[in-house]
Amino acid sequence: MRLRRTMLYLPGNNPNMLLRGHLFNPDGLVLDLEDAVAVREKDAARILIRDVLKRGEFGSCEVTVRINGLDTEYWRKDLEALVPLGRLDGVRAPKVDDAATVKQLDEALSEIESKAGLEVGRTKIFCLLETARGIFNTYDIATASPRVTAVIPGGEDLTADLRTNRSPEGTELEGIRRNVIVAARAAGVDALDTVFPRITDDEGLRKETSFIKQLGFDGKSVIHPNQIPIIHEVFTPTEKEIERAQKIIAAAKEAAERGLGAVQVDGRMVDAPVVKRALFTLTRAGLLEEGQDNA
Amino acid sequence: MPKNILGREIPEFIEGYGKTLPFMGEHARKPEGNRAGPKLRSTFNDRTSKVVPDLKAAIAASGLKSGMTVSFHHHLRNGDFVVNAVIDACSEMGIRDLTLFPTALFGVHKKLIEHIKSGVIRRIMGSVNGPIGQMVSEGGMEVPVVLRSHGGRPRAVVSGDVRIDVAFVAAPTADAYGNLCGSQGKSACGSLGYAFTDAMFADCVVAVTDNLVPFPAAPVSMPQFHVDIVTVLDSIGDPAGIVSGTTRITRDPLRLLISKYASRLIEASPYFKEGISFQTGAGGISLAVTAFMKEAMKKREIRGSFGLGGITGYFVDLLKEGYVEKLMDVQSFDLEAVKSIAENPNHIEISADWYANPWNAGAVVNMLDVVILGATEMDRDFNVNVNTEADGALLHGIGGHQDTAAGAKLTIISQPLLRGRIPCVVDQVYSVTTPGEVVDALVTEYGVTINPRRKDLVDACQAAGNVPLVTMDELVARAHEMCGPTDPVETEDRIIGIIEWRDGTVIDVVKQLKKK
Amino acid sequence: MKTAQAGTVESMDCLVTVSEAEPGTGIALTLAGSSVARFSRAMEKAVRATLGELKINDMTVLVQDNGALDIVLKARVEAAVSRLNGGEEA
Repeated sequence: MRLRRTMLYLPGNNPNMLLRGHLFNPDGLVLDLEDAVAVREKDAARILIRDVLKRGEFGSCEVTVRINGLDTEYWRKDLEALVPLGRLDGVRAPKVDDAATVKQLDEALSEIESKAGLEVGRTKIFCLLETARGIFNTYDIATASPRVTAVIPGGEDLTADLRTNRSPEGTELEGIRRNVIVAARAAGVDALDTVFPRITDDEGLRKETSFIKQLGFDGKSVIHPNQIPIIHEVFTPTEKEIERAQKIIAAAKEAAERGLGAVQVDGRMVDAPVVKRALFTLTRAGLLEEGQDNA
Repeated sequence: MPKNILGREIPEFIEGYGKTLPFMGEHARKPEGNRAGPKLRSTFNDRTSKVVPDLKAAIAASGLKSGMTVSFHHHLRNGDFVVNAVIDACSEMGIRDLTLFPTALFGVHKKLIEHIKSGVIRRIMGSVNGPIGQMVSEGGMEVPVVLRSHGGRPRAVVSGDVRIDVAFVAAPTADAYGNLCGSQGKSACGSLGYAFTDAMFADCVVAVTDNLVPFPAAPVSMPQFHVDIVTVLDSIGDPAGIVSGTTRITRDPLRLLISKYASRLIEASPYFKEGISFQTGAGGISLAVTAFMKEAMKKREIRGSFGLGGITGYFVDLLKEGYVEKLMDVQSFDLEAVKSIAENPNHIEISADWYANPWNAGAVVNMLDVVILGATEMDRDFNVNVNTEADGALLHGIGGHQDTAAGAKLTIISQPLLRGRIPCVVDQVYSVTTPGEVVDALVTEYGVTINPRRKDLVDACQAAGNVPLVTMDELVARAHEMCGPTDPVETEDRIIGIIEWRDGTVIDVVKQLKKK
Repeated sequence: MKTAQAGTVESMDCLVTVSEAEPGTGIALTLAGSSVARFSRAMEKAVRATLGELKINDMTVLVQDNGALDIVLKARVEAAVSRLNGGEEA
């Protein structure tokens, strides 16, 4: 499984960030053609992102583009310019309200992939849920195409649609985050949290990240590189957690070898869900190679 | 043409400088003979005040004449009024052909250009920055400038390479008998470290103050027996330019990233243990390294022995919180540092000689574990250039770069790989300030590049597992790929600057830029 | 004379201004900014190569540079030319 603790937005018309973003070692990048680019700069940003994608140097980051909304005239041009390069892992679609939007995007992607001689289905879809309708339809959206790999509740747009605003405590997003996580797990996709807008409030970010991690989120969108180490720290298991997970895996392995059903570690029963969680802990700690985690 | 050990062409004789000694390696040159000394003078009880009415009277009393050498310290930094005031007065008094021997010059001194053009100043031995540097680079001075490090300068004075006729010492506080103090008064600057050697070796010492207090002043930085004349100005400097406000840790993500890699390198090194000593300076990256190191020291329960160099409020906090036992301060950068040096006995004022002179019985830099330094460029051999900019203009002084690099056990250059399109790693630096033999590592946003002669550090980083290593070849290749080929700097044959290694040998020369 | 611009003067970017030129006058290029002292040849090569790919023989080009790498310089030239040609509005 691919870690998506942090996905860093890079303003699409800013060469400095587009070229350097990967150096900050986020798990993923979101090259942004939507809100970060003024309407009259969409063309220049598209050319710039195209050339940066051609160059292709993004370290080990998962590379995605936030395209313009499917209710605009730009999104198809965005896809046509960028998808055929074969460097994109996925597109992040704004304001996804229903399954039909996903299907429309899925079809457009298939057409472009096939025309470019790329494997059809290789471009994943990340769905931004920025309206009450989108939140309400989360499960349908997440299951509308096998391309959908993550759902992401919105921040500002969503709270506006709910006729409220974002508070430091996040009261207004609490129920939404719980709903999204349930739908995401039911659909088998990742749940990624919205950005934390106060970029100098390190403690606030730490608190919010701990909260969404506890809810079950896989990661968070990021608007400033300085937020990355803080989020990674929260998501990185402690040495104690790692030690316990290693013990559990070892015990489970031994039990399997000896044909035993269940064993105990530190006085607690180790059953399948416990092993699964331990494997997950080690993955997050970067201690499992890819492909090894489904053992 | 003869070449020094780094392959740089150094003429045997340079007009306006004299015979050269080529740089032959860090410790190759050995001193001979005795220390030089100032003129003997006597003072008896018929003279109990050294105060003269004004600057011109002081200059007249000092015996300063055309063709002589005058020295200044730079503790008032960009707030300094004294250099300009003294040279203005000399000009009005008809004194010409002076050799200016400052410990450093700042933007505020660009006014000197008119005195260079009119012939009041004939040559400069010291750093040339900003507009003066540009003018010198374009051939605006007949005599080449001589650049020395903070340790090389006192070496030149005590060895007699440079004789100071009159040292003008800006003093934030003085009494009528010449006891001087830097940490008190409206123009307080903290340490007076760079002024000591000049005061001890000049034939005449003139203190210039704007805070005359009754005898005896206390505390005393520089005692009365070095000082010949005292004079009072309304103001010796602008406090806003003398000390900076509270220095904050950078929020720039690129600089923070480089700082984090640098601190991981330090943590992985064998020097990160109880009693570590370090110098990190006041730059954005180095201050952030200090912050990351503090976290690591806390986590691993380590305390440092001393912090050295230019001291900031951040270092003062480290002292107060017990992360270092002492501060050794040659220059105080901000108000917190000024306050601390006045109050805290563990915050020690040291002279440039004490700090960095290679030709004494032992400078503090020799006791240094780790230093973080900057660079404009570095080459495949780890030679570092801090003096010239990408376009070949001589715009920066050496500072303590050579001395701390030579003294410290771990010398780290931290610098973004790219400043705009200009890379900090090149095949060969345009001019050498500090040789690769005393440089251990370069830290950029692409990772940590270790000098191959420090295999032990490579091993330590690999063992630590969290230090991203990148070889010099990889880094240079990356710079080439991103920036493309550079055009050569076009120069005349004439030498406009001489860069001395701290022992007085010539490590490189800088040529006049061709007119565009 | 029709003129168009693309880019910014932010760090690592450049502002490219292109103007139509009479056929046969060739490419008239002016470079200004921080990289010019050491990279004028590389910059000129990048601009001319991009114009060549776009099959443009006659044009006046002004680059106000603030440290753009070739990849950025080329993208800005292409965007400016596309705007000059009235191409896609966005």
